[in-house]
Amino acid sequence: MTGKIKNYFAGFAEAVRKGDRWTRSSLLLFGAGYIGRGQIIRGILVQLIQIGFIWFTFGFSAQYMMQLPTLGTVQREETFDPATLAKTVNDYDNSLLILLCGIIGIFFILAYILLFFQNTRRVYGLQKRAEAKEHINSFREDLHTLINEKFYLTLLSLPGLGVLLVNIFPILFMICVAFTNYDKRHQPPTYLFTWVGLENFKTLFTSSQTVTFGYAFIRILVWTMIWAFAATFTTFIGGILLAKFINDRRTRCQKLWRSLFVITIAIPQFVTLLLVGKMFGDYGIVNSICSKIGLTGFLKSIGLVGAGLSYIPFLSKPGWAHVMVILINIWVGVPFQMLSATGILMNIPNDQLEAARIDGASERQIFRKITMPYVLFITGPSLITAFIANINNFNVIYLLTSDYVSTNMKFANSNAKEPDLLITWLFNLTNNHSNFKMASVIGICVFLISAIGTLISFARLIKGNREEDFQ
Amino acid sequence: MRKRILSLLLAGAMSVTMLAGCGGSGKASGKTEGNTAKEDPVQTLIKNTKDPVNLTLWCSETEAYQKVMKERVDAFEKQYPKVKFNITIGAESEANCKDDVLKDVEAAADVFVFPDDQLDGLVQAGALQSVDATYTYDPAKANTKETVEAASRDGKMYAYPMTASNGYFLYYNKNVLSDEDVKSWDTMLKKAGEQGKTVGMEVSGAWFLYGFFSGAGLEMKKGDEDKNTCNWNSTDGKYKGVDVAKAITEICKNKAMVNCVNEDAQAFALDGKMVADVNGTWASGAFKKAYGDGYAATKLPTFTVNGDQVQQGSFAGYKFVGVNAYSKNTGWAMLLSEFLTNEESQSAIAQATGEGPSNTKVAESDVVTKEPAIKALGEQAPYADLQRVGESYWEPAATLGQSLVEGNYKDPQKLLDDAVAGITQ
Repeated sequence: MTGKIKNYFAGFAEAVRKGDRWTRSSLLLFGAGYIGRGQIIRGILVQLIQIGFIWFTFGFSAQYMMQLPTLGTVQREETFDPATLAKTVNDYDNSLLILLCGIIGIFFILAYILLFFQNTRRVYGLQKRAEAKEHINSFREDLHTLINEKFYLTLLSLPGLGVLLVNIFPILFMICVAFTNYDKRHQPPTYLFTWVGLENFKTLFTSSQTVTFGYAFIRILVWTMIWAFAATFTTFIGGILLAKFINDRRTRCQKLWRSLFVITIAIPQFVTLLLVGKMFGDYGIVNSICSKIGLTGFLKSIGLVGAGLSYIPFLSKPGWAHVMVILINIWVGVPFQMLSATGILMNIPNDQLEAARIDGASERQIFRKITMPYVLFITGPSLITAFIANINNFNVIYLLTSDYVSTNMKFANSNAKEPDLLITWLFNLTNNHSNFKMASVIGICVFLISAIGTLISFARLIKGNREEDFQ
Repeated sequence: MRKRILSLLLAGAMSVTMLAGCGGSGKASGKTEGNTAKEDPVQTLIKNTKDPVNLTLWCSETEAYQKVMKERVDAFEKQYPKVKFNITIGAESEANCKDDVLKDVEAAADVFVFPDDQLDGLVQAGALQSVDATYTYDPAKANTKETVEAASRDGKMYAYPMTASNGYFLYYNKNVLSDEDVKSWDTMLKKAGEQGKTVGMEVSGAWFLYGFFSGAGLEMKKGDEDKNTCNWNSTDGKYKGVDVAKAITEICKNKAMVNCVNEDAQAFALDGKMVADVNGTWASGAFKKAYGDGYAATKLPTFTVNGDQVQQGSFAGYKFVGVNAYSKNTGWAMLLSEFLTNEESQSAIAQATGEGPSNTKVAESDVVTKEPAIKALGEQAPYADLQRVGESYWEPAATLGQSLVEGNYKDPQKLLDDAVAGITQ
């Protein structure tokens, strides 16, 4: 790796040392080296990029970058003139814009530096070709390579730009906010926020009578992990078993069953979850049935339902709510897994199954020794994705526990409640309490957990060519 | 200016100077300089308005509100025939108004209707244009003293009062419970229980829970720097915090008592099971339908603390019209707000929505005094407090309420201490 970098800069140094006037003038005017070798259009395009960059930086982002250390100093002030009903506003700083445009500006500068090195090397390459009297591509030929040899570049450019815009910038921005005091008392554009260093991270691990983030964070993190595991595992097993039942030769009306389960996918999750949430509410239909048939009384007598309650707290007490959301999630999530499992089950090599049968293996043995390992191998990556998706499974938790009131003061003091996942907690903090700084800190934690989890498990899955195990 | 010189210098160093200086440092600077001539301000404004005036108004999504606001806006446009208006009315749930305005103040509506408890948050974020001057009538004089006080912060008015009925009181079915029965929780619950009926209140709702403690003389309000002060855990005084906590649990233990939210209460009332409920004007339609000719409303009942009968308190709530401080047409937005809250408009809104007006003259008119719900609010008014609450109140208080409802706490003093610590954090 370091060797590569060394080589790269050695190439650059050589270009500067041995470059002719065109190559050297490219150090200042990026396009010169191309124009000098007859690549006029390419030269103009590269030159335009350079001009565009300078125009962007000095015309737009420089003023924000210079304010990055303070995130703005002039607070908004307005004066209203009652006689004319007109208003004057001072030239105020907007911390949010400064941070955002500052980050983009820095990013552009880094990209510019990279382009600078890359460009010099490339122009020097052209020089060497010209000296060796080799063919130099015309613009048309350049374009042609983009849809032939270098087609991958054409294909990757759009997703690459997308990743930059919707992933990298927001993540960088979020990470930065975690080090500021951006909360309900420091809201731009009217108020400024500024850097506070590691203050928020300290808060996240503090537990006192009033600051209970440390208390809530550990508990919510543990529950998030339990939830992600349970939700992934139950829907996965449920999906495979269901697919197995439906695909069994002895099952009648296979298509009907399959369509029935697919219908649950077709109904928007919002509708299902809100309805189910109401059904299992403290005064919902399930509760009135339970109290009529005496289930509520029975659960009370064995101590599962608190004495003070006249209903079963399906979604309103810790423990109950935790189990219920996992159960309800099975119902919502199994059809998806069933569909993908159906496809996989149909693709199990038949020769293996037949060989096993001839050897006298029972159906159960076949399922345990052949079907499951095969399915696990195929679905490994998607299981990891499902696990990560469940860590961030906002819908199920948020919609089902919107009426939940915690009785634990320590949760309440950090705006959390027991069945919250990190992601719903984060939503509550930003949306209802404008506590962006703490939400960013939690966001970073979620990001780290998801990223590290994904990397480790993918690395293990991909390691070696394990496909041979199943041949 | 310094920034630009610096950027020019830097750009020069980079040798490409041709375009560098042209990028304007694109920041909005105030340019609206008014005419200083001593004319009638409104006339001046009309004269200075050349382009069509674009305004957005956010108000409740209910049909009644949308309809009456449309009608009032049309009337407003007619008042200034020389000016061309494009006024858009957006449906915005009042409960979310603050959050949505603060999401992007610059993109939010010019004029919006919001409940008074959001005033502090909006002022804090600098989103409200203060009422520095008035032109068509004086809101500070036309409305009741309480509403004006609620619309002000540090002696400065920030919004135009529109309605004064965001409080809570007791709905009951007078065919089942008599006037005497609903005077105290004890008799009300006893009578309802004897007939197999129920009484509802969202005790675990922080907004409702407040009434018990304030009734017993304990305090919770916003102090300096938006921190709450709260003595609900007090161990001296006539009634201790623990006494009130026990009293609440005692009420909730009663078989006839149901702790439930508004929608559930309405459903129970329509079922015929719930014969009384602590609720607000927004539910009047449902209770009218549920109780029929037995429909009645009154002030909240008394409850027993240490053997005494104590009148339950409540929050009084108001709805305001606010002008966005970032509005591009501040002048017209202010005039529109004034128009929407003047006597005529308040009367129209009260008729259309059933909400009580804040204007003193309209409040005395027939339209209002005949409605039992608004009358009940008036009866409760002496025991109602202005809602000045820091944000850290809501979640700890809801948690306290839920614990008191369930009643399975061991040490009530510790429960209250923890709650107070959370509320005052």
